[in-house]
Amino acid sequence: MIQKLLKNWLKLQRKNLHKIMDEKEKIDDINNLIESELVNFTRELDNVKSLSELESVKTKYTGKKSFLTVTLRNIGSLPVQLRPIIGNKSNAARKKIEADILKKEQFLKGIEYEKKLREESIDLSLPGRGIKAGRKNIISSVIEEIEEIFIGMGFEIAEGPEVETDYYNFEALNTPADHPARSLHDTFFVSDSILLRTHTSPVQIRYMEKNKPPIFIIVPGKVYRRDYDVTHTPMFTQIEGLVVDKDINFGNLKWTIETFAYEIFGRKRKVRFRPHYFPFTEPSAEVDVSCNICGGKGCRSCSGSGWLEILGAGMVDPNLYKFVGYDPEEVSGFAFGMGIERICMLKYGIDDLRLFFENDLRFIDQF
Amino acid sequence: MKVTLNWIKEFLDDYNQNKISPGDFADILTMSGTEVKKIENIGSKYENIIIGKIVDFINHPSADKLSLCKVDTGTRIASIVCGAKNFKKGDIVVTALPGAVVNGMTIRENKIRGQISEGMMCSEMELGLSSDSEGIMILDESFRVGESFSKSVGLDDIVLELEVTPNRPDCLGVIGIAREISALTGIEFKIPEYDFDKRLNIDSNFIIEIEDYNLCPRYTAKIFENITNIQTPLWLRNRLLMCDIRSISLIVDLTNYIMLETGQPLHAFDKDLLYSNKIVVRRAKEDEKIKLIDDSTRILDNDMLVIADEKKAVAIAGIMGGKDTEINPDTKNILLEAANFNGPSIMRTSKKIGLRSEASNRFEKKIDPLLTLYAVGRFEDVLNKITGYGIKGCIYDNYKKTERQRNIVLRTDRVKQILGKDIDKNTISRIFTGLKIENRIRDKNIETIIPSWRYEDLEREIDLVEEIARIYGYDKFDSIPTTVTGRRGKYTGYQKAVREIRQSLCDIGLNEVINYSFCSIDTIKKFRLDLEKEYSDNVEILNPINEDFRYLRTTLLPSLLKNVRDNINHNIKDIGIFEISKIFKKRSDEDNDTLPLEINKIGVMLTGKRVQKSWSEEERNTDFYDLKGILEFIYDKYYFNSILKIEESDYKFFHPRINGSIRINGKKMGIIGKIHPLLVMEAEINQDVYYMELNLDDFVNNIRKEKKYKAITNFPSIDVDLAIVVDEEIKNDDIVSEIKKCGSSLLKDVRLFDIYRGPQIEKNKKSMAYSLNFREDSRTLKDAEVEIIVKRILENLGKKFNAKIRE
Repeated sequence: MIQKLLKNWLKLQRKNLHKIMDEKEKIDDINNLIESELVNFTRELDNVKSLSELESVKTKYTGKKSFLTVTLRNIGSLPVQLRPIIGNKSNAARKKIEADILKKEQFLKGIEYEKKLREESIDLSLPGRGIKAGRKNIISSVIEEIEEIFIGMGFEIAEGPEVETDYYNFEALNTPADHPARSLHDTFFVSDSILLRTHTSPVQIRYMEKNKPPIFIIVPGKVYRRDYDVTHTPMFTQIEGLVVDKDINFGNLKWTIETFAYEIFGRKRKVRFRPHYFPFTEPSAEVDVSCNICGGKGCRSCSGSGWLEILGAGMVDPNLYKFVGYDPEEVSGFAFGMGIERICMLKYGIDDLRLFFENDLRFIDQF
Repeated sequence: MKVTLNWIKEFLDDYNQNKISPGDFADILTMSGTEVKKIENIGSKYENIIIGKIVDFINHPSADKLSLCKVDTGTRIASIVCGAKNFKKGDIVVTALPGAVVNGMTIRENKIRGQISEGMMCSEMELGLSSDSEGIMILDESFRVGESFSKSVGLDDIVLELEVTPNRPDCLGVIGIAREISALTGIEFKIPEYDFDKRLNIDSNFIIEIEDYNLCPRYTAKIFENITNIQTPLWLRNRLLMCDIRSISLIVDLTNYIMLETGQPLHAFDKDLLYSNKIVVRRAKEDEKIKLIDDSTRILDNDMLVIADEKKAVAIAGIMGGKDTEINPDTKNILLEAANFNGPSIMRTSKKIGLRSEASNRFEKKIDPLLTLYAVGRFEDVLNKITGYGIKGCIYDNYKKTERQRNIVLRTDRVKQILGKDIDKNTISRIFTGLKIENRIRDKNIETIIPSWRYEDLEREIDLVEEIARIYGYDKFDSIPTTVTGRRGKYTGYQKAVREIRQSLCDIGLNEVINYSFCSIDTIKKFRLDLEKEYSDNVEILNPINEDFRYLRTTLLPSLLKNVRDNINHNIKDIGIFEISKIFKKRSDEDNDTLPLEINKIGVMLTGKRVQKSWSEEERNTDFYDLKGILEFIYDKYYFNSILKIEESDYKFFHPRINGSIRINGKKMGIIGKIHPLLVMEAEINQDVYYMELNLDDFVNNIRKEKKYKAITNFPSIDVDLAIVVDEEIKNDDIVSEIKKCGSSLLKDVRLFDIYRGPQIEKNKKSMAYSLNFREDSRTLKDAEVEIIVKRILENLGKKFNAKIRE
C-alpha cells in the first residue's frame, strides 16, 4: 500500500514539476504520509512478541524498500525549497523508529534471558555450607550483660586476685579472726594467712586503697568455698559492686539495685529489700525479686514465699573506710554482691547448679 | 532455728486481739531481718483426730488378732476394729475419725473382716510423735474425751523456721523473737512472773572455781535434790519435737526447753557422779581425754576450755557434756549449769574438734551473761510446775562483772546522710523505745542506753541507724538516682580485648567452657607437669575437699582434655572448645606470705572432624593447621606489622614433633601442639587432640595495632609464581623469610600455594610453590625489574637451602 501511495505521490510530483503548486498542500500531504507511517509502525511494534517478529518490522520500516528509506533516497527529486522540510521530518521519524526498535529489542532480549535463567533452578532448601557459631559460656554472657547494665550507669570494671590474704578477704572487711560470720564462709587455705577468696569483696578494699572517691565499680570473678553438694560447688562466680562518694545513701542503693533488677529480669518483676546482716555493710539488705513462676503468689520454686533472693547489699560499714584511709564522716557508699550462677538459674530456669561446671556441650549450646 | 507461734505468744500481751495471721507474722519477721524460711501448720496434720475413751471391747468374731472396740468420741460411741492389745476398758486413747490423715493415709469408715470400723486408734509412731509403734498410745485420765488431740497435747501450733543472722544472739530463743515482734508491731512484750528461789551464794556448800574469766565470765549453778523422775509431759515433749529436738528424759528435756525459750544453753550433771562439791572451769591439759554423751571420745588440748570436777573433765565447755556424769534413769540429784563462755574460744574449739551443738552455736555468737540467772530460775519454775519440786535452795553464781552498759549518741543528721530520708526524731525515739533502748531527745541528737542483750551488736551510731531503717521498714525508703556528673562507665583496653577475643572465638565456632581451678596430684604426674619448669610449682590447698581438688592448676590443658572426654562419652566427637581462666603458680621465693602468680590464660582444644561430610563436601579431620589458623586469626586481629613464629619445642604432654612454642615479635606467648597420643589414649579418647594455650595477659598487653592511614596506590602489581625443590627438613618459615629478605621493599606478599611430594621429584624432597606479589607504590613496575629480583631470590635459595627451581 505504501508502495502504491508513494508511486502516486511521485507521479504527481513529476506531473507538476514545472507548475507552481500550492506548496503547503504538498507538505501536508507528505506529512500525513509520514504520520500514518509512524502510526502504523507503533501499532505493529506493539504487537511484536519475539525477536524474529521484531526483525520483520524492522525491515518493513527501515529496510531498503521502506517508505522512509525511499523518501530519503529520492529527496533530491523534490523542489529545493521542500527538501529540508521533508528531509528533517523523515529523518526524525526514522530516528524514532530506530530508537523504538532498539528499546523493544532490549526488552525482548531481557525477557528471553530471564526465560533462560528460569531454567537454572536449585534447591534452596539444601543446607548451607557450614559456618557454625560457637557459644559463649552462659556465665560469661550473663556477666557481660550485667557489666553492660552497670557501665550504662557509669560504673567501671575492677578485678583482683583469686588467691587472697586473710587481711583482704576477712579482716579489712570487718570480719576479724573470731567473728561468727566466718563460719558461714568455709574457706580453702593455702597457708595460715593466704586463702582462696570466699567472695569478690576483697577487691573493694584493694580498689579503695588505690583510688579516691568517687568510686563506681563492679567486680566480676571466681570465688571459692569449701562446700560441695547438690546446691554448692567449690568454685562459683560473683559480681560485686561498690559505690563511694559524698552523700551516697540508702535510697541510691535502692535505685541502683532496682534499675539493675528491672534490666536483667524485666520490668514486670517486683523488687524488695529485706534487712539482713553482713559484717562489712550496715545497714545490710538481702534483695528479692518476685517469683516469675507464680507471679508472687507462692509456689514450689520460691518455697511458697513468692520471692526469690538475688543478692546481698548494704551501706558500706564506716569501719572499712578506716582501713583504707577515708574519712567516714566525709564519704558514704554502698556495696552489693550476687552469685552469677544463681542469676543464671533464675533467668533461664536452670535447676541444677552442677551443670555450670560439667561443660556438657549439650548445655553450653543452649545459650 | 525453729520456734512455735503459741510459744512466742506466751510473751506477748493480748496477742490474739491483734488478729495477725501466721503468714503476716512471718512477713513481719522476714522484713525485720529474721528470715522465715518455712511456715508449717502442725495442727492441720491432726484434723479429725480426737481424744477417745474405750468403753467396751470384744474379740473380733472372725479374727483372733483383732478386737472390736466401742469408743466414746465425745458425741457418740463409735465401733473401731483395732489390732493392738495394750489397752483395757476405760483407757483414754487417740482416735482418728474418718477424714483424718494418719501416716499419709486418709481414714475412712470401712469393713474389716465383716465388721464396721469407724476410725482408728493410733500409736505414737502413727502420730509422728516417736518411733514407738508397740501398741496404741494410752493417755492419762486428765485428758478430756471428745477434745481435739492436737489441742490437748499442744500440737495445734504453727512452726516457723527462722534464719537468725549471726549478729543477733539475742534472737536465738523464743523470748528474743517475741521482743522483736513487740518492737515491730507495738504489741506489748511481757515476761510472766516465775517462781524460783532468788537467793544467791548464801552458803559455800558448793564451790565454783573459774581459772580464766576471759574464757568464762560467768558460771551459775543450782543443785536440785531428790527430783521426781517422771515422764516428760506431752505438751513439753511436743514443743521440743516441733523444734526438732528429741525427748530424752524430763531433766534433759527441761534444759533444752529452757534453752529454746531463753537462748541460754543449760547442762545438767548427775551431781552424785561428780567427785566433790566443786566445779572447776579450766583449760584442758594437753591430750586430756573425755568421753562425751554422744559416745565419742575426744582428745583435747590446752586451748580448749573444760568443766571439771577435782579429778577430771566432765564437759567440754559450751559444747557438750561428758558421758560419765550424764543424767541417767537412776539420777536423784542434779547440778544444773548455766554459764557464759567466750564466744571465739568456743568457736575455735568447736571447729578444732569438729563438733557443733545447739549450745556451741549460741555461745559462739556471744550471748548475754545476764541470761544465766534467769534461765536457772525458769528451770526451777517449770520443774516445780511439772513435779511440784518446790521453791528452794540458793543459786551459786561466780560472775566477774564486766561493763554491760553502753551509751550512744545518735545524730539525726547522720540518719539522713546514710538513709537519704529525714525521719522525724520522735519517730526514731519511738522505734528505740519499742526496742527497749532507753533514749532521750537532745536537740538534733538522741542519747541512748543500750540494753544488755544488745550489748554485742549495738556498739556504734551506725548500728542504731540500721535499727531505725530495719524497724521503720526498708520498703518505706524512696529510690534515689545517683548523679552521673564527671564519670563515664567503660571497659579498660585490656577488658575490652579479652571480651572481644572471647566473642571472636565463639564466632568461628568454638564453645566456651569454664572449669574448676583445681587439679589433683594424679593429673600433675600424668601430664608430667612437675617436670616442666613452666607448669610446676602448683599452689597447694591445705584443706581440700578431696584429692581431686588439692592443687591449683598451672595450665588449662588437663581440664579441657577432660571436657573433651566427657563430651565424647556423650557421643559428641567433633569438638572445638576454649577456656579463659586464671592459672596459679607459686612464686619462686621461699616466703610463704606472698600471693602466688595469677595469669590469665586462654586454652583452645580441637578434636574430631573439622569439616563434616555433607552433600557438598568431603569430611576432613582436624589437624595442626586448623589450630594454627585460629591462632593466626586472633593474632591478625591485634598484631599489625608483627612476626608470629612457632618454634619447635619439647613439652612432654605434646607429641614429640608436633610441639611448638608461640612467639610474637620474639616474645614467648604460648604453646601449640598435638596432645601426646599416649595421654589421649589414657583418657580413653580414640582421636587426635590439638591444644594451644596463650598467655592472655602478655598477648593483650603487647598488642601492636597502631592505626595509620597509608594512601592506596593504583599502580598495577605483578604476580610471579615460583616452585622450588628442597630437602624435606627445610622449613617454610625459613624459605619465606629468605624470599622476603631478597625481595626488597617491592615484594609485598609471599604466599605458599602448593606442596608436592611424589614421583616427579626425588625422594626426601618436596616441591614448594610460592606466589610472589610485587608492587611499587609510586609508579608502574617493569617486568624486567621483577625478573632481576626473582633471579636474586632463586640464587639465594639455591645457596642457602640447595633449592632447585622446578621447571
